[in-house]
Parts: sequence; structure tokens; C-alpha cells
Amino acid sequence: MRRVLGFFGGLWRKPKLFIGLVLLLLVVLFGALHTPIVHWIGHGTDPMSIGFGGRWEQPSSTHLLGTDAVGRDVLALLVTGLWTSLKIGLLAGVLSTVIGVIVAFYAAYRGGWLDNVLATVTDLFLVIPSFPLLIAFSGFAKKVSLFEVGVILAVFSWAGAARVIRSQVLSLRTRPYIDLARVTKSRDFEIITTELLPNMLPYIALGLALAAIGSIFGLVGLELIGLGPSGLVDLGLLINTAVTGGALSLGAWPIFVAPIGLITILFFALNLINVGLDEAYNPRLRKVAGA
Amino acid sequence: MSIDAAATTQEGPENPAGTVEGPELVIAGGVRGWLAMHPLLTYALRRFVLYIFTLWAAISATFVFFHLIPGDPIGAYIQNLQTNHIYNVSASQQVVAHYRAVFGLNGSLLQQYVHYLYQLVIKQDLGPSLINYPDSAQKVIGAALPWTIGLLLISTIIAWVLGVLMGALAGWRRENPISEVATYVSVAVSHIPFYFIGLMLVFFLSFKLGYFPSGYAYDANLKAGFTWSFISSVINHGVLPALSIVVVGALGNLLGMRQQMVMVLGEDYLSFAHAKGLRPWKVLRRYAIPNCYLPQVTGLLISFGFIFNGNVLIEQLFNYPGVGHLLVAAIGQLDYNTVMGITNMSIFVVLTAVFIVDLILPLLDPRIKYSR
Repeated sequence: MRRVLGFFGGLWRKPKLFIGLVLLLLVVLFGALHTPIVHWIGHGTDPMSIGFGGRWEQPSSTHLLGTDAVGRDVLALLVTGLWTSLKIGLLAGVLSTVIGVIVAFYAAYRGGWLDNVLATVTDLFLVIPSFPLLIAFSGFAKKVSLFEVGVILAVFSWAGAARVIRSQVLSLRTRPYIDLARVTKSRDFEIITTELLPNMLPYIALGLALAAIGSIFGLVGLELIGLGPSGLVDLGLLINTAVTGGALSLGAWPIFVAPIGLITILFFALNLINVGLDEAYNPRLRKVAGA
Repeated sequence: MSIDAAATTQEGPENPAGTVEGPELVIAGGVRGWLAMHPLLTYALRRFVLYIFTLWAAISATFVFFHLIPGDPIGAYIQNLQTNHIYNVSASQQVVAHYRAVFGLNGSLLQQYVHYLYQLVIKQDLGPSLINYPDSAQKVIGAALPWTIGLLLISTIIAWVLGVLMGALAGWRRENPISEVATYVSVAVSHIPFYFIGLMLVFFLSFKLGYFPSGYAYDANLKAGFTWSFISSVINHGVLPALSIVVVGALGNLLGMRQQMVMVLGEDYLSFAHAKGLRPWKVLRRYAIPNCYLPQVTGLLISFGFIFNGNVLIEQLFNYPGVGHLLVAAIGQLDYNTVMGITNMSIFVVLTAVFIVDLILPLLDPRIKYSR
């Protein structure tokens, strides 16, 4: 508990981490409020139904971001899509971090042949081009739930997190306090959960941020080329319908600039958190960077 | 052995590889003695065995994955023939069996796998393509490859050179407000996918202002050849896709290089070089950069490997006739041979690049010891 309080107390002195967390909070808040926002735009009707407004309307007071090719309100689509993207990022991000943590801890802490095998498997997943596999997956997953998409994305993105965490465990497990715990005959599980894990939290958070970025863009990328699983409306689908619908030549910019801007802010926030965590907890960087 | 060889091999005692020197090496006394005499060769040999194993495992994994996709490519192909060529007779068992044999789709998954490996390794053949039937998969891929390589190789190199130079300066002049701004901009931009930058560029420079064409690799009215108008058309069409890769790539490289630079700034040999009275520019060029550009070189070599995958999103956006574009079309038709050809080529090149990097890295940086 003291560690948590100290973390938030020290935030003011870590501007990158602070700005990143605030931006992330704002984006998540915007997505979380999708029901009231959609309700407010629709005034009782569904703003995402065909023919809610005119076709390709420019931004106005009734349609803050205009309408799309079939008259749906862009702002309503945007918040709904954002919420889906955020849920995917959280779900796949957490899943792949959990897989990564288990693989990395077990392998790096035990060492020996198991470490070699697991490290090779991790490297294998890093070189297999995942995007073609994701495209292929979309071929036999026409109607899937959010959860299933999250699992598939996690399968392809855990390796990055595992590698970041493994290299940290490797350096931590030779520290004196781990030796002390071993001498007092603590069980491996106990050492991992009470000694290693708390010290690894910043790196796990770092891996989570990276995995979330990767998973959100994995789905967005599939939707961009029109091969995403049907039934999920995320920010990528919004951009795809805009581009294929001819928004570029019609000059209807809000419909693709808004989701791109939103994803950019989201990735910027996650990336700032990343850099901030690295600077705050990597002593080698702190020494010279003075952060 | 891993992509981050530069990071892990320097750690010395913490590297678990050091513990492998156990029973494995107990072969015959003569062999063992010989290996002990030639640590370099032992390292290279062990690394090579691992390389071959990883190659096999990666290719097998993708084979299984792609063949688990439900669907009947041959049935769809014959149906396509029937509708497009008014070939009204229903396909006989023989016709179907013939095509299945040609595409190596007979028997169980294991038999298909053995057939594929035999074809790939012994005959060095990727098999016929379904997407462009009588042509082989290597011919179809070969036609798309020059576009992808030309576009991605040039833009990757430009992005790397720009990024490393700017990153070195940004790290060197860390307190300068310009480099502070550059760092924040890089953090923001380097994680924007290429596609988004490309989309904005197309919208403003092509649709709004009409400076550049919006798609394809050259003007369709021109005949391909070494004429000035054709070459200028290719360049004109390549500017936007290349620019979208260069912007993001350069800023990503800037961040990486800046971090490396910041890490060496506190080192004693830099203070010593300054104390000798050398000009700051010379200290940067002769002392700081040579000590921190290696991870960037590794990164560049490995990204060369990933080039062979094509950039699916950029090529789809610009309708560029490269490998990524082909990949999407081939998956749509369940053209196993072409899809696997592309992914296997990319796996092969990436793994080979990593292998070569691991072998030559100790030559570039004497601080790295051969630990595996």
C-alpha cells in the first residue's frame, strides 16, 4: 500500500509518466461515456441507424463531426468504436502480459534447458510474421465474439512482453536479496510472488502498454483492409468504411481524421507511460538523464 | 541467439547460456578437445544448428496453421472455372483429384506436410499458384517482389540514416529545446502506424492539392521499360508511400539512437576526450557514435528481413503491386502455395539476418564475447 501511495505521490516529478496517465485517463473516460454520448446525440433515436442524418454532412451543431455515407452520426460511431478498441486493448494486453509473465518468470528464474526451450519458442513467435496469420485467421472467423478476438491477438503478441520481462528477471535473480530468500529456504513460488514480482511491476506495466498498442492495432489493421471479424465496430472499421466509401475524394475529412487522431492520442499516451516508466525505474537511464 | 543478442550477450555471468557447457560436449575426447581449441567455430556451429532448427520449426508451424483454415480451395477454383468459362459439365472426380495432386493436397495433413517439405527442400519449388494457375508460386511472388523491395528498401535506408543522425544530435544536445521538442514529437509519431500517415498524405497531397498520384506503382498508360517517362512515373508514384514509411521510421530510429547516446554520455572516455581538448564535433564523431550505434545496425539488418513480408497496409492503401498486396489476394483464394511461399521467404530472410547479425556482431564490437 505504501508503495502505491508513494508511486502516486512521486508522479508530479515524472512529467512524462504523469502526462501519459492523464491522457490515457481522458481517452478511457471518453470511451466509457459512450452510452450517454450516443443517447445525447440521438435524442431517443439511434444515431447509428441508416438515414439518421443526410449523407456526408459537414460538421454542424446537430452533427458535431458530420455524417457518413449512409447518414450515421460520426461522433456516435467514434465513441462506440473507441470503446471496442479499448476493450480489445485491455483484454488482449492483459492476456498476453499474463502469458508473457508466466513464460518469462518460469524460464528465467529456473534457468537451464527449460529456459533455452522457452526462449527459443519466444524467438520463434517473434520471427513468424503474425500479420499474414491474423489475415488467415480472419478467413475462418467470420462471426466471433470480442473475447475470442482478444485471445487470438494475445497468442500473437505475448512474445514481445515475455522478452522484455525475461531480460529483467535474468538480472534480478542474481541480486543479494534473492540469494537471502533462497538461503532461508523459501519456496520458488514464494520467492517469485513476494520478492521478484513487486520489483518487476514497472516492467510488467511496460509490457502491458506495448501489448495493448500491438493488439489494438492488430485489430485496426485487419479492419483497415476489410478483413476484420464481422460484428465488431472498432476504429479501424470506421476508417475502412470512410476510405472505401470515397470520403477522400469527397473531402469528408472528419470521418477518418477523428479516429486517426484518437488512436494517435491513445498510442501517444501509452508510449509516454512506457518512456516515463523506463526513465523512472531504469537506474542506468536515471543516472545520466537526471529524470 | 536472439534478436537482442547485443543486449544479452554482454551480460556475461547472467547469461544462462554459460551453464549449457555440461554433458552436451562429452562426445569423443578428440572432438571435444578440438572444439575446445576452436571456440569461434564451436560458437558458429552451435548457432548454425539452432538456426536450422528454428527455421524448420517456424516453417512447420505456419504450415499447420494455414492448413487448419477450413475451406476447399480446389472446389472454389473449379466453381470459378465453371462460372467464368461456361464450362457447364460438372467436374468429375478425376478432375478434382488431378488438381488436388498438382497442389499437393492429397492424403492426410502429415502426407501433405511431407510432400510440401520434399518439394520445398529437395526440389526448391514452392508449387503452382492458384491465384494465377499455370504459373508457379515463385513466378507470381517474383513479379511482386521488385516493387516491394524497391519501395521498402529505399525508404527503410533513408529512414535509418536520417533517424540515426538526428538521434545522435538529439542525445548529444539533450538540453537544447529543439531536441526536447524533437523527442516529444518522436514519442508521439513513432507509434502512429504507417497507414495513418499515408492516409493523411494521400488526402492532402493527392486529393486536395493534386501533387502526387493516389495509387498504383506507375502510370497505366506507359509501357514498362528503361525510358525516362516510365522511371519518373515510378518515382512519382513511389513518393507518397515511401514518405509515409520514412516519417515514422526516422522518428522511431531517432528515439532508439537518442537513448543509446544518452547512455554513453556519462562515460569517462568522453570526459577524457573533452579534457584532451578535442573539438566537440570530433568527440561526437569518433568517440560517442561508434560506441552506441551497434543496436541500430542490428535493428537495420533485421528490418531488412521483414521487408520481404511486404507492408500489407501501405500496399493496400496505395494499391501498390507488391508482396503485401499479393498476400491479401492469395489468402482470399486460399492459395496455400503462394501464401506459404511469401511467409516462408520472410521467415527465412529474417532468421538468416538474425543469424548473420549474431555472427558478425562480435567482429563489430570487441566487447561482446561469444557465449553460445
